[in-house]
Amino acid sequence: MARIGARSIGDWFSERLPISGEALRELTNEPVPYHLKRWWFALGGTPAYLFVVQIATGILLAVYYQPTPDAAYESVRYITEEASYGWFLRGLHKWGATFMIAAVILHQMRVYFTGAYRKPREINWMVGMCLLLSTLMLGFTGYCLVFEQLSYWGAAVGANIAGSVPLVGDFIRDLMLGGEGYNPRTLPRFYVLHAAVLPALLTLLIAIHIAIIRIQGVTELHFEDEPEDKPKYFNFFPDHLLSELAIGLVLMILLTTLATILPPTMGPKADPLTTPEIIKPEWFFYVVFRWLKLFSGTVAVVSSGFIVFIMFIWPFIDDWIRRKTRFTEASVWIGIFGALTIIALTVWEAVVAH
Amino acid sequence: MTLNQKRIIIAALAFLFLLSLIFVQWLEVTRRQAEAGLRPPPIAVPASSVACVDCHSETNPGIVAHWRGSEHARTGVGCVECHRAEQADADAFSHYGVTIATVVTPRDCAHCHGDVAAEFEKSHHAQGGNILASLDNFLAETVEGARLNFDPHSPTPGKTVTTVNGFASAFSGCQQCHGSKVALVATDGGMITVDDLEPDAAGQPTNQDAVARIAKDGNGKPRYHPGTWPNTGIGRLNLDGSRGSCSACHSRHDFSPRRARQPENCGKCHLGPDHPQKEIYEESKHGVAYRDLREQMNLDADSWVLGEDYSAAPTCATCHMSGHTRNGGKITHDPGERISWTNRPPVSLVMDTDLAGKVVKVADPEERRKLVVDSAEQKRTRMKDVCSHCHTPDYVNAFYQQYDDLVILYNEKFAKPGQAIVAALRQNQLLTPTEFDEEIEWTWFYLWHHEGRRARHGASMMAPDYTHWHGMFEVAERFYMELIPQAREVISEARAHGRGAAAARAEQVIEAILARPEHAWFEEGATEQMKKIRAAMEERYGQGGGP
Repeated sequence: MARIGARSIGDWFSERLPISGEALRELTNEPVPYHLKRWWFALGGTPAYLFVVQIATGILLAVYYQPTPDAAYESVRYITEEASYGWFLRGLHKWGATFMIAAVILHQMRVYFTGAYRKPREINWMVGMCLLLSTLMLGFTGYCLVFEQLSYWGAAVGANIAGSVPLVGDFIRDLMLGGEGYNPRTLPRFYVLHAAVLPALLTLLIAIHIAIIRIQGVTELHFEDEPEDKPKYFNFFPDHLLSELAIGLVLMILLTTLATILPPTMGPKADPLTTPEIIKPEWFFYVVFRWLKLFSGTVAVVSSGFIVFIMFIWPFIDDWIRRKTRFTEASVWIGIFGALTIIALTVWEAVVAH
Repeated sequence: MTLNQKRIIIAALAFLFLLSLIFVQWLEVTRRQAEAGLRPPPIAVPASSVACVDCHSETNPGIVAHWRGSEHARTGVGCVECHRAEQADADAFSHYGVTIATVVTPRDCAHCHGDVAAEFEKSHHAQGGNILASLDNFLAETVEGARLNFDPHSPTPGKTVTTVNGFASAFSGCQQCHGSKVALVATDGGMITVDDLEPDAAGQPTNQDAVARIAKDGNGKPRYHPGTWPNTGIGRLNLDGSRGSCSACHSRHDFSPRRARQPENCGKCHLGPDHPQKEIYEESKHGVAYRDLREQMNLDADSWVLGEDYSAAPTCATCHMSGHTRNGGKITHDPGERISWTNRPPVSLVMDTDLAGKVVKVADPEERRKLVVDSAEQKRTRMKDVCSHCHTPDYVNAFYQQYDDLVILYNEKFAKPGQAIVAALRQNQLLTPTEFDEEIEWTWFYLWHHEGRRARHGASMMAPDYTHWHGMFEVAERFYMELIPQAREVISEARAHGRGAAAARAEQVIEAILARPEHAWFEEGATEQMKKIRAAMEERYGQGGGP
């Protein structure tokens, strides 16, 4: 009786949605290169997984958050101190952001050093760069929403930086703040960017990123110590999905632990009349912040933009170096130098007060 | 480059990145927690005080630990900033190349906290040292002790006692709250105080003879007279001419605002049989609410404005000193600014004060108008501004009516009569000029100084038990059962010794007082009222309360 019932329901759906299990399996079961059996090569899915965590926790936080200068701080305080599990959700969201940015950086590092950005994957590298910048912008706008002193002054410094971009600086700053300075229209802008525009953009970019991967296939890497007779591919479902799920669960444990042991705190409320003794952005901007302190205004901003531009077009530069010079491994040494510089500048900014 | 080599590079860089991330997050979390007040903020020892901190961390780790927890440490105010002294200061000495003084006075604090020091200077707190010429001091220095050092009369097993310090009670008692007259030891073993040094406007001594008599050790360091220091009395008379001690309330070396906000801080001095404000507060609804809701008082906050940062309960500081929403959060360091009666003297006085902050005592209304610069009514309005955060105007006004009525009842029924009786005895030379050598002088002192104050303070801060049982009940008992009988005994004794005229004049005062309607029950009895009471008790309890 039960079998008949189940079959009838299945048939009912098949008649209306002609999708067969076979076709679905075909669609999802893309062969995955064998090197992805090594879990640390599976970190590309981690930012996507964390993005889902951010969306889920972000929606719940948005239930209480009020994006106006008068109410923002109080609503975050309410979430942190009064709303049921508010502190936990805010903790997951905060640590999720840190993990997401860290995962993007690690993923990019892996892609870079294994040369996975090379022809024909240059476009996907650039999509990846857009994903990195969007993620950083999400972090920045999220930090501004708390409306504590450092949120406010961080935004003010950010706007000043944007304002010092030659030619279009004032326009970008005005667009960002909704005026020449921080004003009551600024916070809703950050909120719309953080909760709607950037997530939508990120979703679109992730879809393009994955679509290109599906079209081109994952870069295949062969380690010298691998046996010759090993299978070349394995199934995405369930093998690779289970790896991703295992990583996701470990991340969830880490996030839960951090959100519980080190829950987010409340700094002093934003006060436009009192500049804090120490202004610090979130950690992922330490490198830029330190760079800005090392060089004066426009030079720092233009040089930062130039470095980002170089990162964007790196696949073409690398191709040129490899074709025109004998330094075929230059990218590795440049990468090591770049990574060490970023780490050093970040730590430097972290340990000094000013 | 092989893939395995690249793998090692990725692993090494990723490890370094994650390590730096953990380190940066640790710093970030620490900073945020410090900002939220969950851990002491990190401090950088100012260059001027690095040597002090290094050495005193070994010798007096508590001092350094307290300082590390202070706002001073957070804002870069080190040891030298407060302890620095000028070469010409009486108590200055060179300490590892830096000229410092041990005692930090309000003049030193005023370098940064000028407004606060100025407010404090005109407060009654700053005048606390005036007790050094008062009845209380006579008690401590003469009655309890002796204005001299004398020889012990028998050995103290286990200790060599060569002399008895007659001032010990004053030094360890009165002066620890009211403030000592800080003294340096002179070359002849005597004391050198502000009176000898005659400091100028900058606080530096002008009497070089006195300076020359300051005894110094081999390192050129003068020694404070141990009777006068350590002392954090609120009205301390300092060598530089300043009055008071900021650390009376802002305990060194953490100078915690949190502590100054709590009633326990004031309770070092405002307690005991003669002015139990702390106990009165604890008995009141205010104190009960504080005990219950202390966690909601935001005591650690930088800003502590009533109605904005907390509203759970008031403490001493809330009502008498702290800022609130109705005065723009302005703190005062003159607790007298909101007090409308002074209940310190035998007869309470209305707190109309003159330019010098002294209570105007003249009766003539025209004269008063000329002298008064800050009236009791203005002070009361300031206090009502605090009250109104939690009470309606009707409530506050009715409370003040109750309070005024109690003070006036005490004044009129017992204080002024008591004062008149003792004065009559003294004017007629029925008492010796010396205080406390006759029983009635102790009786009168207990009546106003202890019980009378308890009643008035109890009413001022809503503690019914202190107003009644510890207050007016004991005042009445002392008046009817001790003061009147003792006065009559003095008169009778005088009469027996042939001083009938003087006795009669004094007796006339007593009898005139007792003939007043409010005392009629004592002389004429209250037979009718007692009958009614007994009848009511009979009805209520089945027995009339009689034997």
